[in-house]
Amino acid sequence: MLIEQLHYATTPKYNFPQSLEDLQLPQRFIEFSLRSMKKINGEYFQPNEITPYEPAKESTENITLAFPHHNSCTLRSVPLKPLLDDTTVVAVDVSSIKVGETETGVLCALRGAVVWREKRRYRCLRIGPFPFHITEENKREIYGMLRQFCFKGSGETNTPSLINMQNRMCNLLERWLQMGISCSLHRSVILWDGSLTAGTIDSPVNVVSQLLKVARNRLNTVLAFSKITRLRLSGHRLTDLSGKCSPPYLLKFNDFPAHTSGTMCLLGNIFVAKLTKGSCSFRLDIDREISWEHGLEAVQRLLGNDMFLQSYPETLRLAHIFSTFTANEVIGIQRFIAQKCGLKMVTRPNVRRLLFGLFGKGSED
Amino acid sequence: MRLYRKEGNTVQILALPTENVEKGEYLLIEDPATRRSLITQVIDVQFANVPGILEELLRNSTTNDLVHEESFDPLGVISHVAYIQDSRLLVCKIRGTMEDGKLRVTASWLPSRSQSTIKKLPTTSLLTLAKISADLPIQLGETRELSQFNIDAQTLDGRLNIVTGKKETGKSHLSKLLVMGLIDHGAMVVVLDLNGEYTHLGFSSNGEKNEHFSKIQALTPGDNLKMTLPQMKLRVMLDILIHALHLPGTSAREFRRIWRFLQEQGTLTLHELGETIKNWKCNTHVRDALFSRYYSLLNSRFFTDNPADANGLEENFRKIRNGGALVINLHDISLVDRQVAVEYVLGKLVEMLTQWKIKAVFLFAEEAHLYLRETYWDDIVTRMRHFGVFTTFVTNQPNTIRENIYRQADNVFLFNFTNEHDLEVVSRAAKVDAETVKSVARDLPPRHCLVLGRAVKDFPVVVRVKALDVQAMGHTRLFFTEKN
Repeated sequence: MLIEQLHYATTPKYNFPQSLEDLQLPQRFIEFSLRSMKKINGEYFQPNEITPYEPAKESTENITLAFPHHNSCTLRSVPLKPLLDDTTVVAVDVSSIKVGETETGVLCALRGAVVWREKRRYRCLRIGPFPFHITEENKREIYGMLRQFCFKGSGETNTPSLINMQNRMCNLLERWLQMGISCSLHRSVILWDGSLTAGTIDSPVNVVSQLLKVARNRLNTVLAFSKITRLRLSGHRLTDLSGKCSPPYLLKFNDFPAHTSGTMCLLGNIFVAKLTKGSCSFRLDIDREISWEHGLEAVQRLLGNDMFLQSYPETLRLAHIFSTFTANEVIGIQRFIAQKCGLKMVTRPNVRRLLFGLFGKGSED
Repeated sequence: MRLYRKEGNTVQILALPTENVEKGEYLLIEDPATRRSLITQVIDVQFANVPGILEELLRNSTTNDLVHEESFDPLGVISHVAYIQDSRLLVCKIRGTMEDGKLRVTASWLPSRSQSTIKKLPTTSLLTLAKISADLPIQLGETRELSQFNIDAQTLDGRLNIVTGKKETGKSHLSKLLVMGLIDHGAMVVVLDLNGEYTHLGFSSNGEKNEHFSKIQALTPGDNLKMTLPQMKLRVMLDILIHALHLPGTSAREFRRIWRFLQEQGTLTLHELGETIKNWKCNTHVRDALFSRYYSLLNSRFFTDNPADANGLEENFRKIRNGGALVINLHDISLVDRQVAVEYVLGKLVEMLTQWKIKAVFLFAEEAHLYLRETYWDDIVTRMRHFGVFTTFVTNQPNTIRENIYRQADNVFLFNFTNEHDLEVVSRAAKVDAETVKSVARDLPPRHCLVLGRAVKDFPVVVRVKALDVQAMGHTRLFFTEKN
């Protein structure tokens, strides 16, 4: 006799980074988290029943990147040789999830995971979860403070809508952790989830450039892996292209444009990485400001010092796994918030289900 | 605890890890709106299938030698997650309904899922509610709440009982408690003691005589249980010859003639019987058959021609007419002799009961399949019960007792079984649903017993059987005794 399994999906993807012990981030986050939940005592709480796919971290790939047709662009396969040394490989991922609604706002939780491989052993630090209560009243304050800490004087910007706050906070947290790691590591390979495309609200060009610069100054190399890309070359998706040699190799694009039409800016050189045999390959962005040889060496050091599953680095995979919220954790967080804040749980009728019965699928939002 | 689901007479209840509930315990589901309560018994405790648990466990399983994980959780949220992970699902069987302070066995209503409150129902409260009192108490042990648990000796009166469980779980211990409890209330008990375990019930563990000493008569066939042929009825003797010694029908008819002849002559002795068979005019094969049975009887040393040596069952019953036990020690005697003795005892019992020489007797039969002939089983649970033989079967091989016996059993004292086949057999007992038997009995600790049937008014109760200060016999002989 088993209890019926509720259809709680895990949060899709999100990253957090964090560097080691000297990150100031957790303390700040605790403060923000507690401050945000101070005023919700005794409110009614509608736990989130179903979490459909919600992009908690806004990828620059998802923001339309108008990539120009460039027929002159050619491809070259660059075979790779793993470089075995003791280079530390670090990856960061963050997750966020909506856990419910109150009368005045939205309850969500954020968590980060940093995974690093040292001496053939993986270590993981999970930070959080940090629950937040975001309302129309406090969203400006929270967003402003987070942005201030993360981007340090990058200028005023409009506060996002309540719906987008969760994703924005997640992105800010990610940048924050990336900065922390860049500052605290030396001669390491730092893996980001996503691309090095800048020019969005959460990835201002100056901020991402600064992140890369800090990393470079400490002889770190940032490699960004995108699981999904919309970029196409001659009509073909970039990751569908294959090279002429056997893996591991990079596909290098000659005469690739540095700028896109619009405000987006490519801060990395774009490659297709096919690092193991198998069906998967990924878009790989390497800091544009470092030399081709240095970038190539970083990839080869990554190959020599990390494990790979379907061309994807294990550190990044673990970071994703350890940051992701499970449905069980969502229930635990709901319980924590309900107990801590004395919330009264209510179940609001699902209008879709009421109207459409079995056909009323999907979120109510 | 929250009511989660009801299907048939099964209720599922969600419980948090701090709400410590074990199999066999009773829960009361109170519905304030209808002012009724559902009495349920926990038959299984499972992990609640919390959504996402598989992902959680898989993720945590990666944190081994290869991955070292640390958590920074300043708000302590993870402890809540762990709490949810450990939440339980209590599978319960509905046992009755409480309405206006009265207990009813029916449960044709459904309590409110949102409004009902659930609390533990201590066994003592259950016994009070069910009006399970003990006018003639036999203390079996204690309940989970460490309160004394008694059954009423009257619930064994006129009943068929089964004590079963795997080896070394405490079956014999419980049956000794029952024997002594019955004796205390003046009952007459006969024990067919296969392993000689009951012979020293009259002695404390330190070897001193206890208060039951005078009430325990240990009788060993061929030793202090002997009789002369005139003390035997022909019918009993024929039962022995036919059923225990497998005498063919033709030979049995000749034996009947010889017996009557000797009776008429007034020379019914063992010696004369042998002489008469030798000289009897009959077929040689018949004579040989009679001779071989005669020597079997002779070798059993169960019969004597000296009236002074004779010590039959009837005389011993007189000694325990105010309550006591005749322990027929079947230990260390051959299978044939054992069967001869049992045929004699049962035949004699029926004879005495039909003649109202005794009122009724409680028969305890350990591993009865080793000495009870096939036709006796039905006889015991039907005909002999009407005469006043109230049997308690004690066995660790439940499949040796036939299904119809289980179905007619009034009380079952069930100890631990782990074997599925054994559980399947025992679950045929009509006094409780099969799921309860299988689930609860599987996890009973040693010396814990699930009491089913009339003794508990069909409310199954788990009891920790009390210790008994008697000299324990029947210990398994060990080779490495000294080392131990």
